[in-house]
Amino acid sequence: MNIIVCLKQVPDTETQIKIGSDRQSIVTDDIKWVMNPYDEYGVEEALRLKEKHGGEVTVVGLGPKRVTESIRTALAMGADKGILISDGALDGSDSLAHAKAIAAAIKDLQYDLIFTGQRGVDDDLGIVGATLAEALNIPQLSLIVKVEVAEDGKSVKVQRPIEGETLVITSTLPALITAQKGLNEPRYASLPGIMKAKKKPLAEKSLADLGLNSADFGAGARKMKILELTPPPAREAGKIVPGETPQEKAAQLAKLLHDEAKVL
Amino acid sequence: MAEKFMSMRNLKFLLYEVFDAASLTRYDDYGAYDRKMLDMVLQAAWELAQGILWPHFQEMDRDPPELAGDVVKVHSSVRDVLRTFGEGGWIAMTVPEELDGQQLPQIIADACHFIFCSANYSAAVYPGLCDGAARLIENFGSQALYDAFVPHMRGGRWQGTMALTEPEAGSSLADIVTTAEPTDEGYYRIQGQKIFISGGDHDGVENIVHLMLAKIKGAPAGVKGISLFVVPKKRISETGDLVSNDVVTSGIFHKLGYRGCPIAQLSMGDKEDCRGYLVGEPHNGLRYMFQMMNESRIGVGIGAAAIATAAYYAALEYATIRKQGRMIHEKDPSLPPVPIIQHPDVKRMLLFQRAVVEGSLSLLLQCSQYVDLKRVGSDEETEAYALLLDLLTPVAKSYPSENGILSISQGLQCLGGSGYCDDYPLEQYYRDARIHPIHEGTTGIQGQDLLGRKVMMKGGKAFKLYGEEVRKTISKAVGEERLQIQTRALEEALVLVEEVTAHLKGVAAKGDADKFLADATLYLELFGIVAIAWQWLKQGIVMVKGIDGAASEKEKNFYQGKLYALRFFFAYELPKTAGLARRLMNGDGLTVEMQEAFFKD
Ligand SMILES: Cc1cc2nc3c(=O)[nH]c(=O)nc-3n(C[C@H](O)[C@H](O)[C@H](O)COP(=O)(O)OP(=O)(O)OC[C@H]3O[C@@H](n4cnc5c(N)ncnc54)[C@H](O)[C@@H]3O)c2cc1C
Repeated sequence: MNIIVCLKQVPDTETQIKIGSDRQSIVTDDIKWVMNPYDEYGVEEALRLKEKHGGEVTVVGLGPKRVTESIRTALAMGADKGILISDGALDGSDSLAHAKAIAAAIKDLQYDLIFTGQRGVDDDLGIVGATLAEALNIPQLSLIVKVEVAEDGKSVKVQRPIEGETLVITSTLPALITAQKGLNEPRYASLPGIMKAKKKPLAEKSLADLGLNSADFGAGARKMKILELTPPPAREAGKIVPGETPQEKAAQLAKLLHDEAKVL
Repeated sequence: MAEKFMSMRNLKFLLYEVFDAASLTRYDDYGAYDRKMLDMVLQAAWELAQGILWPHFQEMDRDPPELAGDVVKVHSSVRDVLRTFGEGGWIAMTVPEELDGQQLPQIIADACHFIFCSANYSAAVYPGLCDGAARLIENFGSQALYDAFVPHMRGGRWQGTMALTEPEAGSSLADIVTTAEPTDEGYYRIQGQKIFISGGDHDGVENIVHLMLAKIKGAPAGVKGISLFVVPKKRISETGDLVSNDVVTSGIFHKLGYRGCPIAQLSMGDKEDCRGYLVGEPHNGLRYMFQMMNESRIGVGIGAAAIATAAYYAALEYATIRKQGRMIHEKDPSLPPVPIIQHPDVKRMLLFQRAVVEGSLSLLLQCSQYVDLKRVGSDEETEAYALLLDLLTPVAKSYPSENGILSISQGLQCLGGSGYCDDYPLEQYYRDARIHPIHEGTTGIQGQDLLGRKVMMKGGKAFKLYGEEVRKTISKAVGEERLQIQTRALEEALVLVEEVTAHLKGVAAKGDADKFLADATLYLELFGIVAIAWQWLKQGIVMVKGIDGAASEKEKNFYQGKLYALRFFFAYELPKTAGLARRLMNGDGLTVEMQEAFFKD
């Protein structure tokens, strides 16, 4: 079975984010870029399915040249091929445009399953998966924590947690799955994997290569506009509940919850 | 727990900016790699450290190995670490490709080892031991031995060990009494005791493979009678099963630190059924072992620098959060207290740590680079690098080991009372680091090795080469105004070492061997400080360029910070050489003359 994994590069969650002087973007100097953690679950699941059912895993990334590093990481984990969609005209595009470009890169490939992360941990929008499924006209199974492909490779059974329950869904293939935390524990890249990754094909495609028109991309073509980025309010200092004994502290806490927080 | 255990930025600075590790990929030996791949290797090592070593750092200390019946139970993560390292190729980083290894440059492998040790020293020791033991078999053993043992060790399924020490033979291995009796079935019958054997027994693997020193019955006395054997805990029977090989763990020791890894007392041949398989030629065991030991000694230095680096980051984190006191010039007591990192004395303690740690790491990677250059260079170069490596090994082992302890002590001091308590990791780092001046040859033994052998060998050729290397750095730094003071100071310090060395050679020439080596440890200390100053100047040449060309504030701060650490080393540490030199030139034989009886009361 052939699987495609879409991969985004995001700032490492430990990076201190600074808002740029335009107040609409972040300062990207000194950022450590990593594979979006939800996409990593997608890579791992694709590799496990390949190990069980055979076939090929293709990783598709979009963005500047540095995204190849994350694609190479996926190749080192065991994926077979990479595609990087890279074009200056993509700068400033929104997620809808990204999905459109990815759809164009994928549509002529042979695939049974597509994985995306349930969202990117950078802007937390969660739009690409759904938009891509729509563009390719295939079912979308979102926020999935378990994937089982039928023996005949024609359908998939997945689990999605909802409010303490589990929704079990079956779908025909091809389908698109958005990966949620809990799906698996991604493997570590191995040294032989890193060595092999060097020899694996990694194609770079421009918008023109994909038959797309640059005018439909970039800041000017955004359907979603960012008005302003503001940092979250600084957290106020916590309060230590006074009291000599646990009983006294509990009574004080109840009083505070009632009088100040007004939750009781 | 602290958030950071090492600085990838600094490691990459040393690897790429100071030692130009990427240029090694030009050579056929390392041609399979490029800079991007080396980065991926470092990143993968970091992820492994962060993912499976660091989370158990504290737990492995609190929940140490236990001898329960006839098994040593270790932390459950040990099995996972060994398997993951084995499957990921991390136990064969520098092994040639044709032997299924990764053939990485030594400098990159050592950098990975540094990352692992900074995350969790105890855990990193297990795969490290497998690597060293497997290499001994690869280099000196027969194909049959290789096939039977090495793949299991490199796969992380069988633990490798180095079994040298005995109750009556530690520093002086010539005195070992474990015996090997030849049989006509191709193996030897082993009988004896070993103590302090790291990873000597545990339940994280299916088998333990000891690389053991023993004397063949009737062998000549002393070091020339020592042979090397593979002595597995379980041997492979004719039917291919693992059966007991009469190696019994008679105890494990309760240690000060580095508690995640057991050291075992082993008893071989109680039932006269312990088989050992000779590695290489009879009576050459110590020679084989020493080839390995030189690498292990560099490994110890790396472990020491790594623990000290993690301690520094824990101390730094605390110093930025803890508020206490006001600036000395501040007279208003109603002002809020300041973070302690603002006090000059706390900054002094932090700078000391950086000066020691980053200087040590530089010297260690310098040695790694010599290993690589020795491999790819011409015959003449190979000989030169081998000599330099031989000379610097005791220094690269001891300086980080001894000064790492002092560095961590200052880190602990930054935390005040909290540093002394186990709510913070400093006390554990302090305990963990204490092993390094002891194992793989004590500092005393390293001092004797440096002065008694390495400096003297081949008519002082290695020492002369070393002086040339240091002067190369000096001449590169000469034009740099910002390093003028340091450049001159290094030149003077080098001359001082040369004078002291000449003086001591004179003592040796008079035949007074006791006096000659009485203060060898001090000589090692002197030599070490100057070698680290050399490494700081070498870094300095790159730093000043870095400051000028820095692309961002963060980068500029990085180079500025390092420049302060360099200046600190030259201002606070290098002057210590004067006192050491004075003592070494004195030659009154004080410790030689002191009598045992005078110590009593
Ligand atoms: C945690 C730990 C792990 C270890 N792991 C291993 C292992 O895996 N395999 C292994 O084989 N061994 C191992 N050892 C043993 C270790 O290598 C020895 O402890 C070490 O070499 C010192 O030997 P010793 O303990 O017998 O001390 P001794 O040799 O008795 O030394 C005691 C003191 O006397 C000094 N001294 C001794 N001889 C001289 C001399 N000729 N001149 C001047 N001073 C001298 C020493 O410097 C030292 O200060 C380990 C030890 C520890 C504590």
